[in-house]
Amino acid sequence: MTNIGIYICHCGTNIAGMIDVEELARKAAKLKDVSVVKDYRYLCSDPGQDLIKEDIRSMDLDRVVVAACSPRMHESTYRKVLSEAGINPFLLEIANIREQASWVHSEKEKTTEKAFDLVRIAVAKVKKDESLESLPADVIQRVLVIGAGIAGIQTSLDIANIGYEVVLVEKEQSIGGRMSQLGKTFPTLDCSACILTPRMVEVSTNPKIRLHTYSEVEEISGFIGNFHAKIRKKSRGLNPDLCTGCGECTARCPTKVPGEYDEGMGKRKAIYTLFPQAVPNVPVIDRANCVYITKGKCGICKKVCPAGAIDYELGDEIVEEEVGAVVVASGFDPFDPTSKEELGYGRYKNVITGLQLERLLHTAGPTKGEVIRPSDGAVPKRIAFVQCVGSRDEHANKYCSRVCCMHAIKNALLIKEHHPDAEIFIYYIDIRAFGKGYEEFYKRTQEHGIKFMRGRVAEIFEENNGNVVVRADDTLLGMVMENEVDMAVLSVGMVPRSDSAKIQKLLGIATGSDGFFMEAHAKLRPVETLVDGVFLAGTAQGPKDIPDTVAQAKGAASSALGVISHKVLELSPLISEVDERLCRGCGDCKDICEYGAIELITLDSRNAARINPALCKGCGACTVACCNGSIKLRNFTDTATFAMLEAVLGGEA
Amino acid sequence: MPANITRINELNSSFFKDFIEIGKKIFSEDMLHSVESCVQCGCCTGSCPSSRRTAFRTRKLFREMLLGFRDSVLEGDDLWLCTTCYTCYERCPRGVKTTDIIRVLRNMAVSQGHMAEAHRMTASYVLRTGHGVPVSEEVQKLREELGLSSLPPTTHSYPEALRAVQEILKLTGFDRIVGFDWKTMELRGRK
Repeated sequence: MTNIGIYICHCGTNIAGMIDVEELARKAAKLKDVSVVKDYRYLCSDPGQDLIKEDIRSMDLDRVVVAACSPRMHESTYRKVLSEAGINPFLLEIANIREQASWVHSEKEKTTEKAFDLVRIAVAKVKKDESLESLPADVIQRVLVIGAGIAGIQTSLDIANIGYEVVLVEKEQSIGGRMSQLGKTFPTLDCSACILTPRMVEVSTNPKIRLHTYSEVEEISGFIGNFHAKIRKKSRGLNPDLCTGCGECTARCPTKVPGEYDEGMGKRKAIYTLFPQAVPNVPVIDRANCVYITKGKCGICKKVCPAGAIDYELGDEIVEEEVGAVVVASGFDPFDPTSKEELGYGRYKNVITGLQLERLLHTAGPTKGEVIRPSDGAVPKRIAFVQCVGSRDEHANKYCSRVCCMHAIKNALLIKEHHPDAEIFIYYIDIRAFGKGYEEFYKRTQEHGIKFMRGRVAEIFEENNGNVVVRADDTLLGMVMENEVDMAVLSVGMVPRSDSAKIQKLLGIATGSDGFFMEAHAKLRPVETLVDGVFLAGTAQGPKDIPDTVAQAKGAASSALGVISHKVLELSPLISEVDERLCRGCGDCKDICEYGAIELITLDSRNAARINPALCKGCGACTVACCNGSIKLRNFTDTATFAMLEAVLGGEA
Repeated sequence: MPANITRINELNSSFFKDFIEIGKKIFSEDMLHSVESCVQCGCCTGSCPSSRRTAFRTRKLFREMLLGFRDSVLEGDDLWLCTTCYTCYERCPRGVKTTDIIRVLRNMAVSQGHMAEAHRMTASYVLRTGHGVPVSEEVQKLREELGLSSLPPTTHSYPEALRAVQEILKLTGFDRIVGFDWKTMELRGRK
């Protein structure tokens, strides 16, 4: 004998404005097994919730139907109400009479009728609901952070400082990421290294952080609370435990190749560190260019190493780590402007990118901070910055990269401070100086006489003297203008890293149309992904400046802690269930499952499907795929569905 | 290069420096440099009473000035279409000292022999009467009706004061700049 209570919410006028709630209550009261029907102005309010609780206790209700807003809004609220009143929280159904009735219809009488249909469907279903218990799952209280730029560093430090262990994996030979390539940072002009390197040192000395540099995550399996990662520690060609970082090997190495870290503006050796404050301060042998490895000659580094650390034959190492949550902080690549042929990058020596200029301006860079132009090493006195290269462009990236305006403005100011007689032009579509202190910084740059040219650069061509001519419409005067400059700097935007598809596959996370990793909700869940236990930080999620990156990194740390600070996670019991006695082990369900939640096990010498409750999302796809009905989705059974159909098609509810 | 493309390199790069040199005799350098902060939002033009009746665009004048269009700024008519009402000066969100900047540009234009005819006319009144707007017969009548003396106690009433004003105008070279002929008491070569 069931004893159902129905509660109808007015939601102010949201529901009561289009539905005759009193009429609805009268009709609902006549449904079989319904003991009480009440309507209330705001059911989700404290007094509203108390109303339900009191009835459950005093009238011995055993099941509840709430006719209100979408279950996405308040299902968990009312489940809690049932729990607190002493009945199983899964003996609840929500009839969504707001989003599915009052908000979408305009005739009150018919809308009330539809609302009644929704209510009796819910009543039919609630009668078939079974009591369920949440499933406990142990949590490995550690976090894996992929990428050790400023985002990954900040996330790791925040988690470690709370007292939990972090496994931090960095692909490059040092941590620091893109921020370590930068000289000074806008809008305060504090030097990037001065603010970054203390954090890098903190990472290396924090006993809670296990750092794997020159390493890549190769495999991740498992689920929220229980991830298993396989990490490849690439061979540095030397034993890092023996290396003292004295730098003798690099100094004596005879091979010089263009340095990737300097964006090709300088040379590096075949055994090298990225920059003087590298963490760890251990070099790597570039196997493609090392003469000993490619030709069997040289071997100088091995001879001069006082620690005897060099070992050319040293192989990669595979490390396995168990974690409860993952933060992806894998960063970005700069847009390659070669494809914008009209701008001449790659063809004209004196057309460089913003990041290349950044390396020239860096006091520890290839020119020790002196800006010279590539063609003849002369100091350029007339420079054009070209904004939005590959950004806000249907042919390249549709989005705005958010940092290029301020980056160009900052570098223009730095050059102007070095060479007050330099003439600097910034060609722009809009100046986007949105951050704190940015507009003020922009104005300060203007006051230094830097000329802002409104018009997207249409074309760049080269003169015989190596100078380049920038052509653009000055849209403020309506005049096409050409400008012969010593050097043009292309402000290229950010693009997803070339290896981001690999990480996406590894974790099963989604990317947006721009190729960056996608957050679960653009506004309210900005660091979560749709995969439970996997979070995002920094530019891997989309273009960001340093302040925004750090803020998001701290958000990701907090979200990851939200998972791993629990010893046990309660998993939803609304998942699929296999009747192993009936299962033929065909595997159709395994193939259709989007979440990898089904595996085939051997049971008495035959195959059978088994559901991993931590991975199952309760979507129900497997129940449809199953050829003989041996999989059921809890509380969404065929029996319940037929009862609901009967109710709405006129059968007895 | 086709004639309808402007080479920025060929524009007058010393225009702005000259503007500062000349302007700083009257205003502070900060006030003069404020024009570099212009973001071309057009609030000046939108506020301008002249822009509602003429082709004068304050925004465009500043843009041309900053890029070094010396000739079109100093020799054109636009410079003289400002009524110096200071509305744009009050409203500029970037704090550009608009009207004062226009006044410096006018000084530069005049020193090169460019001055709008209407402004020369007004200047000739000053030279002749000591007033930019002399008291007309109608005004004299009005003053009498109001119980005032027909002429105000200015150069109109004191010929020795007018002579002193005219002496100052000669000493400062104002008469020469305007092209005033003391014999005919008229402007020379009126267009």
